[in-house]
Amino acid sequence: MENNRKLSHLLLAGALTGTLSAQAVAASDEPIKVGIMLPFSGIYAALGDAGRNGLKMALQEKAAELHGRKIEFIEMDTEARPERAPEIASSLLDQHNADFIIGPVHSGVAMGMIKVLRNKDTVMIIPNAGAAAATGPLCAPNIFRTSFSSWQPSYPMGKVALDNGYKRVVTMSWNYGMGRESLDAFEESFTAGGGEIVKKILVPFPKTEFQSYLSEIGSINPDAVFVFFAGGGAVKFVKDYDALGLKGKIPLLGSGFLTEGTLEAQGPSAEGIRTTLHYADALDNEVNARFRQNYQQMFAKPADIYAVQGYDAGLLIASAVNRLGGDIEDQDALIKAMEEAKLFSPRGEITFSKAHNPIQNIYLREVIDGENKVIDVPVAALEDPARGCKL
Amino acid sequence: MLFQKRTERIFIWVFFPLALMMPLFLEQNTFYVSKLTTIMIFAIFVMSLDYLVGRCGLITLGHAMFYGLGGYIFVMIAPEYDAVNFWIYTFYICAISALIALVIGFLVLRTSGIYMIMITLAFAQMTFYFFSDSIEFGGNDGVFIYVKPDTSLFGISMFDLDNPIHFYYLCLLSLFNTLFFFRLVTRSRFGRVIDAIHENPGRTTALGYNVFVFRLMAYVMASALGAYAGYLFTMQYGFVNPSMLSWQTSGSALVMSILGGLGTLYGAILGTVVYEGLHYVLEHMTEHWLLFMGALIILMVILFKNGIAGYLEKLLEKRS
Amino acid sequence: MTTSLFFVQLINGLQYGLLLFLIASGLTLVFGVMGILNLAHGSMYMIGAYLAWYFVENTGSFTLSAIISAAIALGIGIVVEKTLIQRLYKRNHLDQVLLTIGMIFVFNALQSILWGDDPLGVQVPDALSGAVPLTEVVEYPVYRIFVAFLCVAIAVLMYYMINRTRLGMLIRAGESNREMVECLGIDISRLYTVVFAIGVMLAAVAGVAAAPMSSIVPGMGEHVLIACFVVVVIGGMGSIKGAFVGALLVGLVDTFASVLVPQLSSMMIYILMAFILLLKPQGLFSS
Repeated sequence: MENNRKLSHLLLAGALTGTLSAQAVAASDEPIKVGIMLPFSGIYAALGDAGRNGLKMALQEKAAELHGRKIEFIEMDTEARPERAPEIASSLLDQHNADFIIGPVHSGVAMGMIKVLRNKDTVMIIPNAGAAAATGPLCAPNIFRTSFSSWQPSYPMGKVALDNGYKRVVTMSWNYGMGRESLDAFEESFTAGGGEIVKKILVPFPKTEFQSYLSEIGSINPDAVFVFFAGGGAVKFVKDYDALGLKGKIPLLGSGFLTEGTLEAQGPSAEGIRTTLHYADALDNEVNARFRQNYQQMFAKPADIYAVQGYDAGLLIASAVNRLGGDIEDQDALIKAMEEAKLFSPRGEITFSKAHNPIQNIYLREVIDGENKVIDVPVAALEDPARGCKL
Repeated sequence: MLFQKRTERIFIWVFFPLALMMPLFLEQNTFYVSKLTTIMIFAIFVMSLDYLVGRCGLITLGHAMFYGLGGYIFVMIAPEYDAVNFWIYTFYICAISALIALVIGFLVLRTSGIYMIMITLAFAQMTFYFFSDSIEFGGNDGVFIYVKPDTSLFGISMFDLDNPIHFYYLCLLSLFNTLFFFRLVTRSRFGRVIDAIHENPGRTTALGYNVFVFRLMAYVMASALGAYAGYLFTMQYGFVNPSMLSWQTSGSALVMSILGGLGTLYGAILGTVVYEGLHYVLEHMTEHWLLFMGALIILMVILFKNGIAGYLEKLLEKRS
Repeated sequence: MTTSLFFVQLINGLQYGLLLFLIASGLTLVFGVMGILNLAHGSMYMIGAYLAWYFVENTGSFTLSAIISAAIALGIGIVVEKTLIQRLYKRNHLDQVLLTIGMIFVFNALQSILWGDDPLGVQVPDALSGAVPLTEVVEYPVYRIFVAFLCVAIAVLMYYMINRTRLGMLIRAGESNREMVECLGIDISRLYTVVFAIGVMLAAVAGVAAAPMSSIVPGMGEHVLIACFVVVVIGGMGSIKGAFVGALLVGLVDTFASVLVPQLSSMMIYILMAFILLLKPQGLFSS
């Protein structure tokens, strides 16, 4: 028995890297624990990496405003595998007692996290996943989002398309939540203004053989095409669109992710694509200029939207901690401080809606000389309708 | 004696008492209990695969289909906001998956070897896309189970599924029962026929046994147990996602079963614990855990000819 | 569907199928000759694409980059065969599966460490950058036509090599009777090394060829791997001819299904495979 106990203690010490913090230490001396749940391997790794960089950079910059509290990061690789999400979330919650949990990129992982973290004694901040449900039917006091709802970047494009005189549009995306929601949001404003969706194409996720769909679009010959694709799929799509000769003949519109973090890989094929998003690299404001310069210096690569969203998650934490004088023990006070936060983000000023989704400007951008240039602000301070949220 | 091998008996006497006591040492930290629970659930799944691959010689890369079905069948047939009875639904889920396995087994068991690997994969992929494309079952984002079943049997509630410790013991019990059940099967007349088929299908046919029927029965049984594991997994956090059905899930189960020692059954537990343990430790040590994980797997294949259980047996059986 | 659209889709399907053949040919060659199921085959496709990107960035020449990448892949093939695969010839297939899964992990990690996780792109070489108009709107890029012809050329070359050369004779002999070849005093392990390295190189060459028309991203190997297995199994494991027919079949079915039955398009190639295996449990051209 004695031996067994020793053995299991050994096992514990050896196999499990336990962190049993001493309870006696005063709250304010303890570091604030920030759990990071992002993909660092697999198809979304680049997005996870950028989000983490942005988050760390913000908290480093704002170190002086944290009232002496140190930040301790606990990083977990989600591998973008939804079925592992609940386990990792509960690890951050129960094992590491994280004060904040930042994540994820992938909407399926977001669902798994929300299942575990909803109404628990920690604050979840989503730095990317746009699933409508997170700040819709599943919204909760302790769930915040610093990115966007899938509705936000796509809804304004309907109006833009109409203003350009496009009447018949083909929409296309991967057949998953984020894609379908983006197309629906575009359709909502586009058809309300008298436009017609001639065809809606849903490509099985994560298939990237687009040629047959593009040939079909060519034969329909619509006024414009609206798409949602991101990451590697966006690169392939934009290249195929150009290679098959559609570029220059049928204008390509998209949710801004089509040209985020992908421009270098897309090369000249991306020139002239117009997208709507809550950010643009070339956004002309002081915060953005400083942000981009520092980011380039720290990580030796240009910042993208994913870095901005991570950065704002950091700003949100810093602003709440600062406001509460470093004492974040009272969750209600913490949530209230976060709700009332006003962030000076690289994307412009943002505040939070009742459902905890950012209220933000949406920019119309065009790719000019390999950069997303802002050409208009079709909607300022756009708030997600938060359908189904009872907060 | 049911457990013939000395190594297996030693393993059982070390593993299960230790597992029984684990929650006592881990009470400050419910996460470790949950983590161990997940490992045990997956070990049930791996064991059901190990039986198919190692004992029956039926290599499948589509076993995750039943793991996922265990969750999705529940979502499809259980009312959304009422607690149902755990045992009755266990029966439903096993029965429905067994029926599905009967149909699919009838088709896939005509092939063998690599062709069977691929045709099982094909069916699993079709199921994966069915749920991943479906809007009513949450699509790619998955779906929540809001109310967990209650476990009363004859009016006595034994486990509270919302209590991680209770759930841990339910899964531990299930794991032990699965091992016990498979041992009963392998020691039965049916099991000996299966062994004979594995050795030499031609001769077994000549002896008058219908090889196809025996294989089909084994396939149905293992699939139903795989579905049971998937059902437990979705009960743990109340979340079902198509990624449960992905070929990567089948693949990692296969890796664990080979790592543990094919066909040894208890090796499935060893393989799962070692693989998940390594994953956990490496993931906390370095961002490039994949590199070390891969290297360790390669090293273990080269060093252990018959998996970890095979290695242990070489050490322990000599003395007996 | 109009006639012109039908022909455009036909070309799309053939082109996709030919590329699939190029990727799958190495897999089926290695299995046919050595009986090795190389799950890391997709990883070599990925490595090929990343190498192409790396050397185009550093040398500026696509042709040069393609040659260097193929040579490196050949080297990787030789080293992997000599240090790892060789130890497992006498073991069962599942040990090989486990080994090659371990290799997938290692290659994925190396890719992330060496080249990062951002999506990368290679521009189409200038000489092949034009396009041929097909309909009023749709045109077809010269590079893709070039790749299609390259795939056909490689198929012909492989056919010639296996049926007409001394190496091919040994390969065919090794396929049917390993001991016999050994008795004739031929060093079979050397033959295996060569075949495995060629298989790896073919995957990498496919990656290089695909690089300018796709996105180079982590995990690209795994997606391709499954499609490859479908191709190879439909055709009959180990049969080059089968892989060729299987690839075209998969390419055409996938292309037409995505337009004609979009609801089923994600499942279509699996339905095709299941259907073929139920009719011919050993694939179309099993040896």
